Amino acid sequence: MSFVTTTPKKVNWGGRLLIAIPYTWLLVLFLAPFALVAVISLSTVRLGMPPFEPLTAWDGSILSLRLNFENFLYVLTDDTYLLAYLTSLKVAAISTAIMLLIAYPLAYGIASCSPSSRSLLVFLVIVPFWSSMLIRVYSWMSILRNDGLLNALLLKLGLIAEPLRILNTETAIYIGIVYTYLPFMVLPIYSSLASADRTLIEAARDLGCSRVSAFWRVTFPLSLPGVAAGCALVFIPVVGEFVIPDLLGGADTQMIGRAIWLEFFNNRDWPMAAAVTIVLLALLVVPIVYFQSRQSRSRT
Amino acid sequence: MQSYISIENLAKSYGVVSAVKNINLGIEKGEFFSLLGPSGCGKSTLLRMIAGFETPTSGAIRLEGADVTDVPAHKRPTNMMFQSYALFPHLTVGRNIAFGLQQDRLDRSEIRKRIDEVAEKLQLTALLDRKPAQLSGGQRQRVALARALVKRPKVLLLDEPLGALDKNLRTETQLELVRLQRELGLTFIIVTHDQHEAMTVSTRIAIMKQGQVLQVGTPSEVYETPQSRYVAKFLGETNVFAGGKAERDGNVLSIESGEAGGHVHAAFTDRIALDAPYWVSVRPERVKLATAGNGIEGIVEQLTYTGVERHYRVRLKTGATLDARRVNHGAESDLAIGDRVFASWPPQASRLLAE
Repeated sequence: MSFVTTTPKKVNWGGRLLIAIPYTWLLVLFLAPFALVAVISLSTVRLGMPPFEPLTAWDGSILSLRLNFENFLYVLTDDTYLLAYLTSLKVAAISTAIMLLIAYPLAYGIASCSPSSRSLLVFLVIVPFWSSMLIRVYSWMSILRNDGLLNALLLKLGLIAEPLRILNTETAIYIGIVYTYLPFMVLPIYSSLASADRTLIEAARDLGCSRVSAFWRVTFPLSLPGVAAGCALVFIPVVGEFVIPDLLGGADTQMIGRAIWLEFFNNRDWPMAAAVTIVLLALLVVPIVYFQSRQSRSRT
Repeated sequence: MQSYISIENLAKSYGVVSAVKNINLGIEKGEFFSLLGPSGCGKSTLLRMIAGFETPTSGAIRLEGADVTDVPAHKRPTNMMFQSYALFPHLTVGRNIAFGLQQDRLDRSEIRKRIDEVAEKLQLTALLDRKPAQLSGGQRQRVALARALVKRPKVLLLDEPLGALDKNLRTETQLELVRLQRELGLTFIIVTHDQHEAMTVSTRIAIMKQGQVLQVGTPSEVYETPQSRYVAKFLGETNVFAGGKAERDGNVLSIESGEAGGHVHAAFTDRIALDAPYWVSVRPERVKLATAGNGIEGIVEQLTYTGVERHYRVRLKTGATLDARRVNHGAESDLAIGDRVFASWPPQASRLLAE
C-alpha cells in the first residue's frame, strides 16, 4: 500500500458540459449561419428562391463545383463599396474617440466615488437599456427634427434665429451612436479603474509624482485593458451599424450596413450582400486577432 | 537639542475616533527606529503622517528642524516601502526602480548607474527585465526596497515590510535590513506588530497602544526595564503578581504577595510608591526551579520542550501559575510533571510596575 496519493486522470464532465453549452450555442447560431453566408458569397445571383445558384451541380456522373469570385472582385474594386467601407470606418473611429473622451472621465468619476454611490451611478449608466434601442433612436428623431425639442429650446433661449438642421446629417449619426453605445465604453473602463490598487497611486506619489503625473504614469496605463475592451466593444458594432445611420443620417452618408441592406432587400443580390459582409468581417477580425495575439504574448 | 526627526504633539482623528493622540517623539539620524504595537494602535497612521499620506489633525512633524507637516508626500525627502510592496505591475523591475528617478528628471546615464548600483546591492541584477508577476515574494520585497532606496531618501519608512514572507526568509531579511541600514547610514523607521522583529532590527523601539506611545527605549531597555504591565507583557513573556505589604532590608525589598502565596524579593528603588497598587514582574528565564530550598512552592503542571529551551508551568498553592524556562544544555530535565518545586529568583530580576 502506498501513502502517496496519485490523482487519477478523472475527466471533469461537469466542467466540459459547462463549456459545451455556450460553444454549441455559438456553433449553431453563429458559425453555421456564417458558413452559409460564406457559401452564398461565392455563388451567382439568379431569379427565384433562393435567389442564388447552388455551388455544386450533379449531372449524373460528375460532381462539379462552381465558385464565383466576381462578387469579391467587384466589392474590392467598386468605388461605392470602398467609400462605404471608408465612411463606416471613419464614423466608427470618430465616434469611438468621442465616446472615449466622454466615458473615461465619467468612469473615473464613478470609480472615485464611495462604494455605496458607485453602484447607484453604474445603475444609472445602464438604465437606458431598459427601453428598446429603436424607441430611443426614434426619440432622437423627434428631438433633432427641425421643429423638434432641441431647436424649440434653442430658439426659445434666443441662442439661434433659425432652426438648425441636425436630423439627416452626419452630426445626427454621431449623436445617435455616441448616445447608444456609450455604456459599452463606460463599463469596462470603470471596472478596470475600480479594481485598481490604490496603494499604487500612493507609491507613485511617494516616489515624487504629483496627482496628475501619478495618473498618467500609473492609473492610465493600468486602465488600458479596459480602454481597449471598451473601444473594441463599440468600434466593431458601430462599423456595421444600420439602424442609426438609416434613421438619423442623410442620404449622403452611406455606411456599409446600409449598403448590405440595400443589396440584400432592394437588389435581391444575396451573393453580393454576402461578399460585402465577408469583406467587412475580414476587415474587423484580422486586426483584432493580431492585437489579441500581441497582447497575450506581452503578458507572458 | 533638536532631533533629526521630531514629532511634536501630533494627533490624528477621523471624526470622533482618534487614531493618534498627542504623540511626542524624537528620532535621531542613522537610527533604525521601530513603532511597535498591536493592530489598531495608530502606528501605521503615524508612519503615514510622516510619509505625508495623512494630514495631522494637530501638531507638527519636523525634519532636520524644518516643518514638513504640510509638505505633500511627493515633495518629502522620505520614501516608503509598502506592506503590499505596491510594485507597478505594468513595468519591469528595472522600470519600477527607475520610476522615482525619472520623476526627478535625472539623466539617463545617472539613472542607469544608480539602478545598477542598487540592483547589485540587493541581488536584483538578473531580474531587471522581469515583470513583478514573475517574481517570488522575497524578490518582490527586494524590488520594493530597491525602488525606495534608489531615491536616496533622508528617511526610509517601512510599513510591516516582512509581513508577507515566511519565517526563515523573514529572519534572513531582518539581518539584511540591518546590514543595509548600517552600510547606507540612513534613518529607517519601521512599523511592526512583531516584537521579535522590532527587537532584532531596532536601535530603539516605541511601544504604542491606543494611539499613544507608552515607552521608548533600546531593545534591552524596554525588555529589561518596562515601565508598565502592558509593555512588560507585550515584549516577551512575564510573570506578574500584585504586590502587597513591603519591608525594606537594606537594598532588598521583601514583598508580601497574596497572589504568589509568599514573599518575593526585589531590589529597592524609590521610583514607585508602594502604598498605591503595584505589581511585581519577573521574566520566566530568570526564575530558578529547585526540588528543595527557599522559594515559592508549587507543582510542575506542564513541561514543553522547544529544542532551545524547556518551558515549565508551575501551579502555585494559591492557584496562580508561574512560568519558568531553562536553556537546553544537553542534560535531560531532572523535573517531571507533578514534581514539587520551589521557585526563586534574584531580587534584581524583579521589576516593580505601577500600572
